[in-house]
Amino acid sequence: MTHSLHREGSLESLDKDYVLFVYPARGFNYKGSAPKVRHLVELLYEAGPINMCVTTLRRNMYSGVKPEEVLESIKVEGARVFSVFDSREALKDALIRIKEADEGISIMVSGLIDRVRDIAAEIGIDPYMVNLSLGIHGRTDLLPPADIREFTTMCGHGVVSPDLVRDIIRRVKAGKVTEWDGSVIIAEPCTCGIYNPRRSAELLREKTPLYTLDRW
Amino acid sequence: MIIHPEICVGCGRCQPYCPTKAIRYEGRKSVIDQDICYECSTCLRAAHCPVDAIAESHNVYDYPRALRRYFSDPSARHVATGIEGRGTEETKSADVTRRCGPGKVGVAIEIGRPNLGMSLRDVQKITRAIARAGVHKIEPHNPIHSMIADEATGDLKPEMLGERLLSAIIEIEVEREQLRGILRTLKEVAREVDSVFCVDAFTVVEPQLHIPEEVLESIRAEGFTWRPNAKINMGLGRAWE
Repeated sequence: MTHSLHREGSLESLDKDYVLFVYPARGFNYKGSAPKVRHLVELLYEAGPINMCVTTLRRNMYSGVKPEEVLESIKVEGARVFSVFDSREALKDALIRIKEADEGISIMVSGLIDRVRDIAAEIGIDPYMVNLSLGIHGRTDLLPPADIREFTTMCGHGVVSPDLVRDIIRRVKAGKVTEWDGSVIIAEPCTCGIYNPRRSAELLREKTPLYTLDRW
Repeated sequence: MIIHPEICVGCGRCQPYCPTKAIRYEGRKSVIDQDICYECSTCLRAAHCPVDAIAESHNVYDYPRALRRYFSDPSARHVATGIEGRGTEETKSADVTRRCGPGKVGVAIEIGRPNLGMSLRDVQKITRAIARAGVHKIEPHNPIHSMIADEATGDLKPEMLGERLLSAIIEIEVEREQLRGILRTLKEVAREVDSVFCVDAFTVVEPQLHIPEEVLESIRAEGFTWRPNAKINMGLGRAWE
């Protein structure tokens, strides 16, 4: 799963968008992982993610699910966690807590390489591996435009539809929803919970004036 | 997915949710084009049909159409691998599994991403090109591996070729000195496919997240660039089983 790797946008915008995964490995540290993952989720909540989803429930933070329900659900081995932080400070806070807890479960961060390198050096973590995105190839002429992809690539599985983004832009423009509420609507199809609604709301605020209602 | 015509009230609410524009009006009702539908179930999960007219197709789990569901619904557990998702755990737990160790580079070809999806005929163009380049081993824990009919040629099982996937990942592992050749192959096959794919390269890093120059040089030499954002295994895992 490489679904957080190809998020598009300006450096300034991507600096408000860090995805953090908690991943037990089948056959290596699956057994006994449930209480450790649960503890890590408690720590993530304390660091203040902008979105989060655990595979035991598959419900994002805006679905109405309570933190205690999420924590209670983590009883099976191998539960995985997907979370998003909207600043490097919040990411750093999460990583400090995770490092101190030393639960031994793999942690992945998707984000600006230079920023993650700085944070890792500041808190004494030595990363093991990098997965680089080498871009999009083939019929790129068929892709939705770059401004729409800044939204849709926040769900790497491709289930956030470009038409839904356009529909929300239209509804924001018409005053029917706020940028935040519209972003929560766009976030719902993303079953991994890695859509960043705060960044999305900022993008809506920035791009909506550039569209006209009668475009649709 | 289907929309029951006797229940649909024609509000059109579901239509923008479809990632592939498979839902459109036919008369006053919304209908789903079965040829285009990826069976990702986004309309059922997220569109909140006010009259519950959306349902699973009766044949969604019939082979080979079931491939659409397994590769397009992120919450579907793939029958071939037993895990959710289109690929494997690649870099995510490599600090524990030690997969793709020093001297190697993992290459992932993310089919149909972003947003477009891809037919299996186009996927076969990529698997054949990789085979022609001399790589005959697709990661065995990746669901694409179970779809290969002939590893020597990269041919997929012929009965699958009419299907479409919203996303899938071909994962291979090569020696660092082979990276240029694979990237060149992918650049060439990109001209043949009628969709898009993303390319990823994953490798063990040197201290302080220093990316090995040998890998970067191969990427540059083939005219590829890398995004400023990447996925980074923080090296905090350990094995105990």
